[in-house]
Amino acid sequence: MDNGEPLPSYEGLAAAFAKAKAEKEREEAQGLKGRTGDAAAANKQGEVHFKAAHGLVVAFFTWILVLHVLGIYLFTSGFLLTRLVLQQKSECSVPPADLAHSYTPGSPKAGCWHPKTFEKAIVIIVDALRYDFTVPFQATGSEQLQHFHNAIPVLYETAINHPNNAFLLPFIADPPTTTLQRLKGLTTGTLPTFLDAGSNFAGTAIDEDNLVAQLRNASKRIVHLGDDTWHALFPGYFEPNLTHAYDSFNVWDLHTVDNGVTDHIFPLLQSSNTSKWDIIFGHYLGVDHAGHRYGPNHPAMTAKLNQMDEIFRKMIDQLDDSTLLVVMGDHGMDAKGDHGGESDDEIQAALWMYSKQKLFGRSSPAYRTPPATAQERPVAQIDLVSTLSLLLGMPIPFNNLGVPIEEAFIGAKGEDYQNLARVNRLTAAQIHRYQQEYALARGLEENARSNSLSLWKAANDAWDKLKPIKKPSRDHWKTPAQAFAAYQAETLTICRDLWARFDIPRMLHGVEILTFTLVILAIYARGLQGDRTELTPALLVRGIIGTVLGVLVGVSLGFAKPDLPLEHTLIYCASIGGVVGLGTAFWYVRRRVTNPLPNSLWGWVSVIFTLALSAGFAANSFTIWEDEILLHFLCTFGALTVISSFRQKDPIDRALGCYHSILFIVLTRVASLSRMCREEQMPYCKSTYYASATSSTSATWQLAIPYAVAFLLPNLIRSYYKGTRSHQGSAILWLDFALRFGLLLSAAYWTIDAADDGDWYPGYSEMLKTTKIIIAQITFAIALAFGYSTFSWAKPLLTIETKVKGSEESAEQIVADGGTSSITILGYANVHGSRYALLITMWYLAISLVQKPMGAGAIGIAAWQVFSLFEITDTNKLSDTPIGPIVLGLLGSFHFFKTGHQATLSSIQWESAFIPLRTIKYPWTPILIILNSFGAQILCAIAVPAIVLWKQPPKKKGLLGDVAKATATHLLFYAVINLATTMWAGHLRRHLMLYRIFCPKFMTGALVLLVVDLVAIFVALLGTRMSFLSVAEVFGWT
Amino acid sequence: MSPTTTATEAPKVKPPETPIEHLSNDTAKLYTHIHPILILSLYAFQFKSIVADPVPALLNTLVPLGILQITYVAVCLPPIGSDVAPAAEKRKPGEKKKIAPGKLVSGLNGKIIPAFISLLVSTLAATPLLMLTLIFFGAPITTHHAHTLLCAAHISLLATLPLIYVHGVDGERWREIVACLLPIDEVYGCLIGTVLGAWLGAVPIPLDWDREWQKWPVTIVTGAYLGFVVGKLAGGTFLKGKQMKFE
Repeated sequence: MDNGEPLPSYEGLAAAFAKAKAEKEREEAQGLKGRTGDAAAANKQGEVHFKAAHGLVVAFFTWILVLHVLGIYLFTSGFLLTRLVLQQKSECSVPPADLAHSYTPGSPKAGCWHPKTFEKAIVIIVDALRYDFTVPFQATGSEQLQHFHNAIPVLYETAINHPNNAFLLPFIADPPTTTLQRLKGLTTGTLPTFLDAGSNFAGTAIDEDNLVAQLRNASKRIVHLGDDTWHALFPGYFEPNLTHAYDSFNVWDLHTVDNGVTDHIFPLLQSSNTSKWDIIFGHYLGVDHAGHRYGPNHPAMTAKLNQMDEIFRKMIDQLDDSTLLVVMGDHGMDAKGDHGGESDDEIQAALWMYSKQKLFGRSSPAYRTPPATAQERPVAQIDLVSTLSLLLGMPIPFNNLGVPIEEAFIGAKGEDYQNLARVNRLTAAQIHRYQQEYALARGLEENARSNSLSLWKAANDAWDKLKPIKKPSRDHWKTPAQAFAAYQAETLTICRDLWARFDIPRMLHGVEILTFTLVILAIYARGLQGDRTELTPALLVRGIIGTVLGVLVGVSLGFAKPDLPLEHTLIYCASIGGVVGLGTAFWYVRRRVTNPLPNSLWGWVSVIFTLALSAGFAANSFTIWEDEILLHFLCTFGALTVISSFRQKDPIDRALGCYHSILFIVLTRVASLSRMCREEQMPYCKSTYYASATSSTSATWQLAIPYAVAFLLPNLIRSYYKGTRSHQGSAILWLDFALRFGLLLSAAYWTIDAADDGDWYPGYSEMLKTTKIIIAQITFAIALAFGYSTFSWAKPLLTIETKVKGSEESAEQIVADGGTSSITILGYANVHGSRYALLITMWYLAISLVQKPMGAGAIGIAAWQVFSLFEITDTNKLSDTPIGPIVLGLLGSFHFFKTGHQATLSSIQWESAFIPLRTIKYPWTPILIILNSFGAQILCAIAVPAIVLWKQPPKKKGLLGDVAKATATHLLFYAVINLATTMWAGHLRRHLMLYRIFCPKFMTGALVLLVVDLVAIFVALLGTRMSFLSVAEVFGWT
Repeated sequence: MSPTTTATEAPKVKPPETPIEHLSNDTAKLYTHIHPILILSLYAFQFKSIVADPVPALLNTLVPLGILQITYVAVCLPPIGSDVAPAAEKRKPGEKKKIAPGKLVSGLNGKIIPAFISLLVSTLAATPLLMLTLIFFGAPITTHHAHTLLCAAHISLLATLPLIYVHGVDGERWREIVACLLPIDEVYGCLIGTVLGAWLGAVPIPLDWDREWQKWPVTIVTGAYLGFVVGKLAGGTFLKGKQMKFE
């Protein structure tokens, strides 16, 4: 290498530099080291040292993650308690009470406990059939006629024209309003527990007594058609040759399931086939999917409901006399067509029963018209179980808590109170039997039940009083009928209370673990002097020793006291052991420990932002309006950095700082225009994320957003590279070509998706589907496969230029000069930052793809703001303060809302799982949903190391320690939020809004913390390692 | 809440700005204490009608507020140029017209005219800027423009009018004001107090108490008035002369 010319390759670069150095014989301030014998060995040693230090930092954060998992697990298992499932089954020949009127129990043919009314039944579930879909629209106030109104009139018409053949009632679901939970409730007659909500992905068989099992025991032939969730719950219960199940999760498919059900159900209704079955369960999903995909106010919903209407009219025609037809919704849907929570729209379904015989009645003439709204005369969904059981002559399932529906038993004239009293007595007696068993199994206190026991006694007294009366009148029967119903109502209330009972020790221990972990993280993040990598080994070793000792203590405690739950003891002892171990480690390095409380304005601002937000989560209003609070905080930060920029002495810093601060504020406000309101924010919030508040499709103009982003964003990011002349090498290839191409592809994806959704090209739907899935897969490949290979192989973004003396060049770029020429390294000023930030843009591309068009705009703004923030922290010299990582936390949380999410179950965009896939595939489906839901937080977590790397000298000491410090600070933000929401959820466990507001917020907070932990370790810290290794190839380790 | 707490000696390079003292005559000494009482009474008196219908009530309150503020600055504060400030500092082309009369006329007019000019500048220049700021911080973009504008006008009269009166409109001086580089005094305290008060005023808005007074922009204006009084008091007493520190 003697020709003195700079070489394009970077090995050459190092050599050229060494040569330049030798020539000028000058010790450079911050340059490279020559690679002579000793130096090479030292360099190698430096690399090993770095890798070891990095590994230890990763291990430390992994250990923190484990503590988070343990704490959250312990709290959750005590908080989301399950009900004790009793294994007893009701038996046909053992009625719960002695039967009066000389009826002999035990014959399924005549009816087990009570004479049966119907031989056969067809039970149709129209998923998400909300009550107001079924009743005529009556204009009240400002309400407008929407697409879902008056589209399925058949149920209402039959109920009003033939009241003795049909009735229609509001059918109230117990939350959570997910299909799996609802099916459990509709077949067992008991209350759901919250924990099961998450298992909608993989339902497990019901092992407690239920209607379907009773039917099967009575050798009824059961046919199932439709949603395959049934098969997860009742494996092997159905007639294999008649049953047809369909995948339930593909919410973008409106017709496959419905057409399948319809195609197979009508042949079964023909008289030649009616002998082949006794019960049909049909489950239509189209309405639900139309809601998820388009929202209720969409022509697709009208079409779907019209189709249902037609099907039921046809079914009525073909029905025979001995068959009962039941149509019901398992839950409703919110204004956007989603469900899962407990808002009114989500729980209000419809129930309609029909029979050719004139059997149904109303106890009052006023009840002949079906209720106009779901607030009037609703029945609970669990009431269906006892009703169907008795109508079909089955025993009532053992755990049932519902009461028979009056309309079905009161007789055509509406005065058969004798019958009603009998069925109510049977049901109440079964409930009483169940309560006795439950009290035995769980050791219930008598006084908790005293109220219901006295009601039970009163009802039995009323019943016994009738015995001496020869011919009791209808009013005589009315009293016991109502008394037994009152007993049922009271018991239900008690059970609701009881099953919302919490395991306080577990919750407390969970909170303790989270608190101690938080303290450790806080000291690690803000309370240590100097380089964290020097201290991490000691901390880690002692922490692990503590954990091991804790495990030993836990195990021995578990064996010494077998009445303690082993898993609980083990988790608690291990965590506390680890925490104590770390405590001793901090004592060991106590000279380096400082007060973690802030000592500057920026420190205080960080603390105030975090604590104010966390404290606010104790109030439902502040939780509901979190998005607006975050906007306020982010703008406050922007305003403070404007002030701070004005304080800078260097005019360039001042101008740049001001510009980027104001840009940051403007971008925050622009992003805030993208809103997806939660129900509680109404009417003060207007959703803009989708075409309208009652839709879940994007407006056509919104499709332009991803294209605009694709054209603008690569240029914008490039400008942040150009400032330090870092826009070269791999950055050109990646930013100008790959990133732009990927963004264009993702914009194309959403256009094709809209074409498919809106049926712009009828007949090409299949082709559009295939194309868009391929496009999505290619985009992912560009973002992650091509992206990571670029990121791992790219050289630092540097070029060497030799200049003749006298030419103007930025002073900080010149690393060696003397004689007549000077050597300039272009891109030197931001070697680490520019190199690492490529990782942010890669993940940005992946996240952007899975957001809806409006979300693509929001996440694009987020990426822009992240770079703006780097400049702000650099010009204001804030990289050592906690404000950067904290603001990234605020920014991530803010854009979580701006990408169309809320801390509610119903705002999860399940359909994002199908962007690059046709069917559910583990582990990709959950990963995609996480990438969609927490994309903004993920992006900001990846950006954290760049805060401390941006424009830092390549050989600055302790950079890895700075990265660890910033990462810990960022995690601290989410850990505080998580701890606060956990404590509030635990503290407010009796609050009316627990399941609506505090529990979803707690779950979001916990999930975000774990996701951010994982991303910080496996994306950000791993990326830091790759980036450092690459920079060190040029600059060496020593 | 540290922006206002740390005491320091002189900044390193420049000679320290001295805190503004109110005039030393007896009327000034007396009125400076009466003024906050009057301001609060005015607001308390108007509060009900502001809650009932913010736009006309805020507009009506603006006039007495302006009069009170003008009286305050004219009676208690030294106008720009009345002390040792070098003349060159405030002669910028755009501002000449407004500042010059204050310098030419002496006596009572030398105070009243600058006070009115301050009123003019704070309504015309500061109000739109503050309105923009309010919108950035989350005020409705498409609706309630009159509400936001009037809210900004109130903040502007409370916070910027006295500052313009004593500091003029010199760019470098205003950079120092925005950068929190001036030592705290009564007038500067008004600004900081009003801004912090308005900031905190946003806190009760989301609460589900269903009170009339939670509506936009009542809480912000209330916060600003309370902040003005607290800031003026603190700036004139125990925080006087202190310097704000960011690092």
